[in-house]
Amino acid sequence: MRQITTRISKLIAVAAVAAAWAAAGLSTALAAGASGDAAKGKRVYIAVGCFMCHGRAGQGGAMNYPAPSIAKVEMPVESFVSFLREAPNDMPAYSANVLSDADAADIHAFLQSLPGRKPAKDFPLLNN
Amino acid sequence: MSKRSNSPDAGRRNFLKGATIAGAAALATPVTANTTSSDPARVNAKAAAPGPRLAAIETLPPSKDPVSQSTSGGDFMVDVFKTLDIEYLSMNCASSFRGLHEAVLNHGGNTKPEILTCPHEEIAVHMAQGYAKIEGKPMAMICHGVVGLQHATMAMYNAWCDRVPVIVMGGNIIEANKRGPGAEWVHSAIDPGAIVRDFTKWDDQPTSLQHFAESAVRAYKVSMTPPMGPVMLSLDAELQENPISDAETLKIPKLSKVIPPQGDSAALAELAKMLVNAETPVIIVDRLARTPAGMVRLVELAETLQCAVIDNGGRMNFPSRHPLNMSFRRAIIKQADVIVAMEVNELWGSLNAFSDRIVRSSKPNYKPGAKVVTLGSRDLYLKSNYQDFGRYQEVDLTIGGDAEASLPTLIEQVKRLIDDGKKSAFEARGKKLAAAKLSAVEQAKSDATVGWDASPITTARLCAEVYGQIKDEDWSMVGTSIRLTWPHRLWNFEKPHQWNGVSGGAGVGYNLPASLGAALANKKHGRLTVSFGGDGDFMFAPGTLWTAAHHKIPMLYIVQNNRAYHQEYMYLQAMAARHGRGITNTATGITITDPNIDYATVARGFGVHGEGPIIDPNDLAPALKRAIAVVKSGQPALVDVVTDPR
Repeated sequence: MRQITTRISKLIAVAAVAAAWAAAGLSTALAAGASGDAAKGKRVYIAVGCFMCHGRAGQGGAMNYPAPSIAKVEMPVESFVSFLREAPNDMPAYSANVLSDADAADIHAFLQSLPGRKPAKDFPLLNN
Repeated sequence: MSKRSNSPDAGRRNFLKGATIAGAAALATPVTANTTSSDPARVNAKAAAPGPRLAAIETLPPSKDPVSQSTSGGDFMVDVFKTLDIEYLSMNCASSFRGLHEAVLNHGGNTKPEILTCPHEEIAVHMAQGYAKIEGKPMAMICHGVVGLQHATMAMYNAWCDRVPVIVMGGNIIEANKRGPGAEWVHSAIDPGAIVRDFTKWDDQPTSLQHFAESAVRAYKVSMTPPMGPVMLSLDAELQENPISDAETLKIPKLSKVIPPQGDSAALAELAKMLVNAETPVIIVDRLARTPAGMVRLVELAETLQCAVIDNGGRMNFPSRHPLNMSFRRAIIKQADVIVAMEVNELWGSLNAFSDRIVRSSKPNYKPGAKVVTLGSRDLYLKSNYQDFGRYQEVDLTIGGDAEASLPTLIEQVKRLIDDGKKSAFEARGKKLAAAKLSAVEQAKSDATVGWDASPITTARLCAEVYGQIKDEDWSMVGTSIRLTWPHRLWNFEKPHQWNGVSGGAGVGYNLPASLGAALANKKHGRLTVSFGGDGDFMFAPGTLWTAAHHKIPMLYIVQNNRAYHQEYMYLQAMAARHGRGITNTATGITITDPNIDYATVARGFGVHGEGPIIDPNDLAPALKRAIAVVKSGQPALVDVVTDPR
């Protein structure tokens, strides 16, 4: 809840850095633009603990600060991987030693495959 | 016995007056017996030649050993409790307070106080904490000498941090020569209160019944004076058990509560001027509402100013759906030119962003030049050892005084300063805030749809399902393991009893027993008590369920079962990522699996209706309906829901 603006601004900043790196060809493993494997990504997402803060459905959660929903993540894969390497605030930064670019790309594919949000008006329980 | 002039129970007084004479006579006899048995002549009788004196001793009848008495100090203690209108006494039975225990039952009739049997002292204190936050007054608990108090301490610390009045008592045997060998020695102390003195407002060890009466009334008064907190009385077993020897002089003092102090009127006038002249004033509150009047007054102030309110959730301070409630739009702090914090314990945490990285860092959340004002009782009473006061926050004006008591004066001062121009500007500001609030509500609903059909069940779906079942009842939510997120984002909290805050000290094991204490207070009002508790918290004090069943306390308890001590799971993951040597090995010591715990079966074992484990979100509604039917019949019920972490 609190600090959400700070967090979002950092996300934007890191995403911008990541995009610049990607444009410079620093993410060589992804340079070919190969998309990840969503099924494998789901397994990795659980195994490496992304679900702990962001939920198994990518719905988001909280640690000391809110962990945003990442279902149907819109960030390009190159930016996504770079973001993981330099994650801000509470979010751990995942180096290539513990999470390869390929695994990260698989996670990205999994997140993009998730249903994400739906119109709230279609849920009577959310309109009490 | 009591000489209190306005005591309603003259019959009791007369009964004890008569009984005291016999009691005093009985008390006198053992003194004679002890004198006789300690006579050195008797000890050496076999070695000495039998002179006339010794011969006389040996021919005397045996020393008198009285076997009954008609009064006890415990009776008087019970009369004091009745005078203070103490409704409940939670306990785990122990010999060091057997005298008082018996007096509560047979002198007091087990009413005011009524005994609550608890399988752990931590449960007994936490029940008192939860009860006080709903009922607005303390109940009492009593624990065994030394070891019982050691069990009680963490819960006392939670109550201390939560600013909640709880009257804790412990048995003791003060005189060394009165202690039996073994347990009575290891369960006695010369200063029992030492272990809790850093997190109690006041403690004492009375050495006479008159001393007890005065200290009990003082303890009540101290605990209820803002900032409120737990107090502790050590009760000598001899004082509890022995006959009353001074009934004619005993008097229960009149309780005169301290009127919570208002902030200085000139300072409040200055604050009013700052608020009225501010472009973007923001009010932050935490433990503001001591009574139902607190929320009403805060609403009046906010609506008068049409300003944003951020509720940190320590009490039911502000309606969750009020158009000015910006609790989930905290970025507004960055726009504020005047920030007023009312009864906020750790303001620094609300005004600064802290980064838990290899190099820990922080920076302010509020803009340079913004004026920060505090209004509250927190600055009036601090202790040193435990650091619950938080990091020092620089402020421009500190007004010492109870915020709830100060609000009428502040509101009046604000209203005096508002002219038509200001009123028009405030209305425009209020419309913008209302639009932002509407947007936040729609965002919450949209966020809740993500993973709606997932299993494990999302916490958003769980909260939506529960609210769907209780929204038309007179409900009271008294615990959450889901932080102050989904219920407060989705539900309509609008009545003073619909929320009562969190643990205070973040001591795990609070939620289940404190919820039960709150449910006890809600019972007589016919409210439907609901609480979300984590599985990790549950396992600290599962025996609470037996107390719930035994005393027939209705409560819907939902175990948010994420099968881990989840906060620590995230911390450990962060450490593993930071150290870069493997991030898939953090479950050890964290998860509560292998075997998975079947909480519904555990509940049934304690005599509580159990549902679950619920894995499919579509099974939630029928399970909740069954459980609520049980609760509405006057019994507790538990629903075990396997959820996603947060």
